[in-house]
Amino acid sequence: MTRITLGSAVLRGTVATALMASLMSTSALGAPPVDLSKWSPEYVRSIAGTQDFDTAADCAKVTPLDYKGRLTFWYQGVFEGDPDLLRQYYKDFFETFRKTYPNIQLEEQALTYNDLLDKFRTALLGNAAPMAVRLQILGGTEFASKGYLQPLKPEDVGYSTEDFWPGAMKAVTWEGVTYGIPTNNETMAFIWNADIFKRAGLDPDKAPATWDDVVKYSKQIHDKLGIAGYGLVARKNAGNTPYRFMPQLWAYGGGVFDEATANPTYEQVNLDSPQSKAALQASYDMYVRDKSVPVSALTNQQADNQPLFLAGQLGMMISHPSDYDVMLDLQKKATGADKDKAQTVIDNMRYGLIPTGPDGKRAVVFGGSNIHILKPEYVEGGKVDEPAAKAIICMWTSPEWSLKMAYAGSNPGNLNGFKTKWMKERLDNIKFLDVTTSMLPYGIPFPALPQAPEIMNIIVPDMLQNALTGAMTVDEAADDAAKKVRDLMGGL
Amino acid sequence: MTIVTGKAEARRRLQSGKPGVLRKIWEHRADYTYVLPAIAVMLIVIAYPIYYTIELSFFKTPPGLQLRDKTFIGIDNYTAILTSEVFWRVTWNTLIWTLGSTLIAFVLGFATALALHREFVGRGVLRAILIIPWVISAVAASYIWKWIYHSDFGIIGAVLVGLGLADRPPNFIDSVSTVLPSLIVVNIWREFPFAMIMMMAGLQTVPEQLLRAAQVDGASAWQRFWHVTFPHLRNVSTVTILLLAVANFNSFIIPWIMTGGGPSNASHIWITHIYELAFGRQRWGVASAYSVLLFLTLMTLGYFYVRALSGNERQEGSA
Repeated sequence: MTRITLGSAVLRGTVATALMASLMSTSALGAPPVDLSKWSPEYVRSIAGTQDFDTAADCAKVTPLDYKGRLTFWYQGVFEGDPDLLRQYYKDFFETFRKTYPNIQLEEQALTYNDLLDKFRTALLGNAAPMAVRLQILGGTEFASKGYLQPLKPEDVGYSTEDFWPGAMKAVTWEGVTYGIPTNNETMAFIWNADIFKRAGLDPDKAPATWDDVVKYSKQIHDKLGIAGYGLVARKNAGNTPYRFMPQLWAYGGGVFDEATANPTYEQVNLDSPQSKAALQASYDMYVRDKSVPVSALTNQQADNQPLFLAGQLGMMISHPSDYDVMLDLQKKATGADKDKAQTVIDNMRYGLIPTGPDGKRAVVFGGSNIHILKPEYVEGGKVDEPAAKAIICMWTSPEWSLKMAYAGSNPGNLNGFKTKWMKERLDNIKFLDVTTSMLPYGIPFPALPQAPEIMNIIVPDMLQNALTGAMTVDEAADDAAKKVRDLMGGL
Repeated sequence: MTIVTGKAEARRRLQSGKPGVLRKIWEHRADYTYVLPAIAVMLIVIAYPIYYTIELSFFKTPPGLQLRDKTFIGIDNYTAILTSEVFWRVTWNTLIWTLGSTLIAFVLGFATALALHREFVGRGVLRAILIIPWVISAVAASYIWKWIYHSDFGIIGAVLVGLGLADRPPNFIDSVSTVLPSLIVVNIWREFPFAMIMMMAGLQTVPEQLLRAAQVDGASAWQRFWHVTFPHLRNVSTVTILLLAVANFNSFIIPWIMTGGGPSNASHIWITHIYELAFGRQRWGVASAYSVLLFLTLMTLGYFYVRALSGNERQEGSA
């Protein structure tokens, strides 16, 4: 159903090449299992299903399968915005782990993206943390820099550093030491409703090419049909906000620092640059000037946009390929006329690359999650069962499970996952996967700084809210946010 | 020669001496023994955290460091809070939130209690229905109201647009000017049944014969209320208002779930701001100083609450 020329998309533009180089740059460049320089949907298809892996046998080399121990484990689990398919894979993983390691007493706890950091920080203060934790990509550096995490590299659980995205490895590295292993890495894509585009007088098969087009299309949809054009999200303390605003900020040439460059130094704060202000102005234009986005954007997250989109009340949004499955799940729960209406929306769902900025720059957040082992002094009981922790880490980051646990919405952290038979099956079953994998080379990791969670979850959303509510002008909101970042970096 | 044991000597001294504090303690030794376990638990779970919070409020806790790397800065956290613009804005919000919620919930609860004090068909059913908001979980209520208020497809908006009373759904919680009043409405909805129950209990204590006597003397309904009913309810009213005020000062769930303090900090009250400072931004020192200020405020309210209770007891004792 997708209408974009996927093959050529990846090779477009020098900026993308630079970003690709950034993602590939690592101090330990060896021979990765896949050739990242050839990355394209065709290449991904060509390697899918070419290698078999025996997860239990591989992990037995790390921790014997008859090992007896106890493990406490927290992880960022599935939430209301995830598809049922993912729920099933999470269930399967823990069942399989218990079967594979029947003598490890596993006490796992799932937390949502928005709750995990707060709860984990609190537990650390009381030396009541779990032995192992799977955190969002933002969290690794914060906790590593404070000395809570044990050094942990892929080699410790039987893999090689080159098996993982180099950009993702940066997010688990602090002052040259690796403190975790990526479980999954992802980039989102641009989703639109072709029927709404058609009724609004837009080309139904063409995504907006630039962010300025998004502003224009959003207004046109709203003016002609009286519904929201673009699914803006500006809630505070919710991961959805930076994942949707940062691509816009980077595309306009802005940034919090210089994180969008090939070799970021994070020394110069750029939130108050003219480019950053232009990006904020685009959001302001949609929310305040044109009133073409959901009014509820300030208190909403993406899970609130999904039903709006399914109800045919939203024209465009940024999200994962899993949103297609979420729509199918929601449609199944609908009744009567709503069911048919939802089916029409699903039939008209299109995925494309995220728009570029005025200078042709395309960017997306290189997201994902990492898994870590805590130091014993911060763990309840003062002991960490390392073999048990390594057993679960080996399993989750294996080619098989790092793919299955990211089946619908993300990509495997372990690049060997792309070679498995499940990847092949996934390419056939998950619609629009090509588009999001095509966005991977445009991915920009969040700044690998301990202050990144506060910047992304509080300062950036605050900036948006200050501008969109009229509490400050666009200039004032950007200046205020830049000052807050400078103060934060200055230790205030 | 008489041998006097230490215990006997102590008893003798207590018996012969003036009725002092020690004697009173000795007389109530069994009572103290009974409450000792509770006091021990309170010392661990309340006294120590209070002490630690006060201690932490004098330290700088940079977000990039562990808590053990804190540095002593005296009263700088307090100075920073009291000179910050955000503090006064959040304080203003807190006052509006607390006073608005408390007074309106009390008045509404009192009025409902007066209405339900009369005998009429269906009174019991109505009373049960009105208690529902109070027994519903605050978390569930917050989510329900979030959807009722939703700025794009909330129920209120849909009804208003459907009836042609508005072109588009009103913006309740995504606007800096309407968010706090909208949250106060939810809080009142949840709290007025508490005031209603308290006042209904109070109304039971108003002597019927006094009301009848006043009626016989020709007092109007308003005069009977003002000169007979209300004086009897003064203490229970004070206690209800104080309890509501303390609960509202500490109220976290509704504002946090519905808006997270936003948009643009317009619905942040002290407790949500403290939470964000501590757990979102890891400014443990500043958050602790904020908590100490909140604690002092609540202790002041608590003092008046205890005084009101003591007044009740004295009144009952003299009756």
